[in-house]
Amino acid sequence: MANPLFRISLTINGQPVQADVPATLRLLDFLRYDLDLTGAKDVCGEGECGACTIFMDGKTVNSCLILAVEADGSELMTIEDLSHGKMLNEMQQAFVDYHSVQCGYCIPGMVLSGEQIIKDHGKPDRDTIREDLSGNICRCTGYQKIVDAIEFAADKR
Amino acid sequence: MKYFRPNSIDEYHELLVTLKETSMSILAGGTDLMPRWEPDKGLMPDVLIDIKKIDGLMGIRENEDEIIIGALTTIQDIKKSILMQNEFGSLSEAARQFAGVQIRHRATIGGNICNASPAGDILPGLYVHQANIQLIGPNGSRSIPISKFIIGPGKTMLEPGEIVSEIHLLRKGVKSLFYKLGLRQSMAIAVVNFAIAYQQDSNGAFTSLNIAAGSVAPTIVYLESFVDAIMSGVSLDEAIQHVDIDISPIDDIRATADYRSTALKNVLEYNFRHELHQGNE
Repeated sequence: MANPLFRISLTINGQPVQADVPATLRLLDFLRYDLDLTGAKDVCGEGECGACTIFMDGKTVNSCLILAVEADGSELMTIEDLSHGKMLNEMQQAFVDYHSVQCGYCIPGMVLSGEQIIKDHGKPDRDTIREDLSGNICRCTGYQKIVDAIEFAADKR
Repeated sequence: MKYFRPNSIDEYHELLVTLKETSMSILAGGTDLMPRWEPDKGLMPDVLIDIKKIDGLMGIRENEDEIIIGALTTIQDIKKSILMQNEFGSLSEAARQFAGVQIRHRATIGGNICNASPAGDILPGLYVHQANIQLIGPNGSRSIPISKFIIGPGKTMLEPGEIVSEIHLLRKGVKSLFYKLGLRQSMAIAVVNFAIAYQQDSNGAFTSLNIAAGSVAPTIVYLESFVDAIMSGVSLDEAIQHVDIDISPIDDIRATADYRSTALKNVLEYNFRHELHQGNE
């Protein structure tokens, strides 16, 4: 039986996007393979690690746990939208300045969760940062420098 | 796979009449269903009905006697609710300890109830506050206490065509707390969890007490024998021995049955001494 296609219309990083997708397609795969937005990473595929984090209607979500059809009518923001060309935003720059990055695979998700933390808490303490970063796993750095960077970016904003 | 997204309950019921497929699934937040389906391997139902856009099932409202939570309210919205924090502490705290931010932004309270996981974090608080689950079906609506609605792991009294619409909580001025023991602080499925709802007189004696524990039986269970023992006035050390009568834990990947039993007794005792100031602290 053919897998039927569904028309979706949404906004991604400020641009209107229309596509015909099978209902079985994950939003993460739609972003990475159909739109070449490869900043969101496919790691655990079950919502544990946060590497696929994007903003959907102003809130961080795991794009591996969402179907592309579910995103119809929504507004998405991916890591690609944070910088202006080679100009990084404060959060991204803080990750560079604090040497928060080793292999880098978790970082797009970490940066977006950092943005959500500032949105929710303004200038959070370190415990709050750690608690709200718990949906993002890093296997390299031990989190210290990631927390440092988010704390700095929050202070600066 | 076919996908439908009805905008109202009526549209949902009209849709059900037209469908002939047998493998059908209802989708709310999807945070529990998606890891099970593996869409990249084609392991999915024939028909998916996304109920997220059904009107009027989101948000927390109050009247004099009740707090009413729409089934599509997200766990993050419950966590952020001051109303819940003030009056239903166990549910507020369970929402705080629920997975991580990204999951809480999608996961819904109705979904957590319908998944009927023996370890569901939101459930013990609903049990101790004796939540009523409101269902809407093609033949009208009905209401069932949570402890009657969930009948086994992943099994509920939901009839074909019915969905959970609201969760009703009585405002009785009962305090409650939630405790979870997991292998990690966040993103962990509970090894044991429980909620305690209680009222104490000015001397700290209980005038009411209700405890429900998760991950120690096929469903959440009330620790009735333990509560009876406490209310009869025996010592905490003696009462805690009654916990084994109330539970039937199993071995699984997260813990053995013995570990769950011992851990539950230890963390219960800890909470009774330090949070509820019973026995010696």
